[in-house]
Amino acid sequence: MDLILLAISAIFVNNILLAQYLGNCPFMGVSKKLSTSLGMGVAVIFVATLASIFTWLVYYYILVPLELKYIQTLIFILIIASLVQFVEIFLKRFSKGLYNALGIYLPLITTNCAVMGIALLNIKHEFGFWEMVVFSISSAAGFTLAILLFASIRERLFISHVPQFMRGSAIALVTAGIMSLSFMGFCGMVN
Amino acid sequence: MSRFLSVLVHGIWKDLPPFRLVLGLCPALAVTASANNGMGMGLSVTFVLIFSNLTISLLRNIIPDKVRIASYIVIIATLVVLVEMILQAYFFGLSQQLGIYIPLIVVNCIILGRAEAFAARNPAFLSAVDGFSVGLGFTFSLTLVGSIREILGAGTWFGIPLTGPDFEPFAFLVKAPGAFICLGLILGLMNAYGRWRGENVIQ
Amino acid sequence: MREIAKLVLVLGLICGISAGSLSTVRTYLADRIEQQNDLFVRGPALELLLQQPAQDILANKLIIDSPEGQALLFYIMDTGRVSGLAIETVGKGGYGGDISLMLGVNMESNQLLGLEIIKHQETPGIGAQIEKTTFRNQWRKLSTRDPVRLIAAGGTIDGISGATYSTNAVMDGTQKAISAFNNSKDQISELIQQANSADQQIE
Repeated sequence: MDLILLAISAIFVNNILLAQYLGNCPFMGVSKKLSTSLGMGVAVIFVATLASIFTWLVYYYILVPLELKYIQTLIFILIIASLVQFVEIFLKRFSKGLYNALGIYLPLITTNCAVMGIALLNIKHEFGFWEMVVFSISSAAGFTLAILLFASIRERLFISHVPQFMRGSAIALVTAGIMSLSFMGFCGMVN
Repeated sequence: MSRFLSVLVHGIWKDLPPFRLVLGLCPALAVTASANNGMGMGLSVTFVLIFSNLTISLLRNIIPDKVRIASYIVIIATLVVLVEMILQAYFFGLSQQLGIYIPLIVVNCIILGRAEAFAARNPAFLSAVDGFSVGLGFTFSLTLVGSIREILGAGTWFGIPLTGPDFEPFAFLVKAPGAFICLGLILGLMNAYGRWRGENVIQ
Repeated sequence: MREIAKLVLVLGLICGISAGSLSTVRTYLADRIEQQNDLFVRGPALELLLQQPAQDILANKLIIDSPEGQALLFYIMDTGRVSGLAIETVGKGGYGGDISLMLGVNMESNQLLGLEIIKHQETPGIGAQIEKTTFRNQWRKLSTRDPVRLIAAGGTIDGISGATYSTNAVMDGTQKAISAFNNSKDQISELIQQANSADQQIE
């Protein structure tokens, strides 16, 4: 029951993109079309979950016993960067279809703060193993949900009349703000 | 000399992040609920930018092309851990407020972007100047956004109460939606100003 | 082959240098970071419990071993004798995780000075009510010789309705602190004497 609540709160109430501001660069960058957003979203779910599991294990079984907590940032980014490389090589070898679908998004993920952010939040909230897994998957799913909704809105924005100076990123940010406002409506769902 | 000047000022207007160069949005949105936090974040990023540009430029002929990105990441992450420790030791309150956004400087695209675009092919001194310029621009932007949100959203500036008791703050501005809308409007105003001056804005 | 060797060498060198510089800075700053952490996280609670400036109390820090594990302890001196203690323990089983709390003890009257919550992640409005003074004030002046219990268990503490887990975690922490105090009174006074004589030798 707690895990379900945790998942709902991570997807809707504390949406990683709209309430915690993580992963905004790809949010603005690749959300112009629905299909690319879907690719990015799936890639983020996949990498964020794997990265969270690895960083969590390394943190609690290597860094804590060795009292090296202070270099957590350095270790985490190295884990994420090499993980992304491995996933890329692995997909290229064994699953051409998936590679063609996700391949171009993978290099972008290394510098996606959503992935690193989820890994850091797992440690900050002192989650246990299963809480960590549920939180990572649902946070990344929240990211995907937001980016998909946003891409559909942006496809409409393309054909609507926007004042010249607000075109592009400016109107995108304001739209994201209104979306974030509507997501605040979920606040009452948990607690 | 003219090169030096153009590098020095480009980050402050022409490539002002995050408005002209739409990079580094996460910290610009997340920590700008108050002017103080925005400025603290800006200065931390500036520190990392100057030294990462300097180090990467000094090592640019030694680092093989294939492990370029990996080396940059190690250098940047080292500097970020350094900033984390310095903040904890001397500005503990600020480090608590900025929380996970300090380690997240590692994945701030501005820093890796400047390393690739500038430091990897320019001499050390110019690279450091570039880091300083872009960092200063970023600090300025974050402080500006933070000031607007804090003054209108909480009625204070750097924690000093500015408005009288009759002023009801727009609490909306210090929450998440306010961040997006405030940043979007500033971006729009800057575009409008650029168009008015006859610059060609591609965004 | 030579190329790969070069790649590995350069990357290894960069990692080595960064690890070296970080651990050097760490050894310099570790004490200061810990002090700052104490000052900001524990300082406010210590000032409320022991009624003295946090700066004066924080230096008097001890770690005692008890059957329930290690406990952190701060003490204040009054004319050569220890007059007050603050014991920090972790209460297990809260709704949102463990609860860190601090219990003040008056050494002369063997009465509790009060309870302060250091860190918790309980639900706002429900479990977070453990922070309220009306709840915490119930600990004042209780004797350390009698176990502290809830009314339901024959004691005096009125728990928070709807927040059984949070209340139980606080009770768990309280029991640990009191038993640590009762079991290790001798150990505590011995350690304090050692610490003070060590201070005098340095002077």
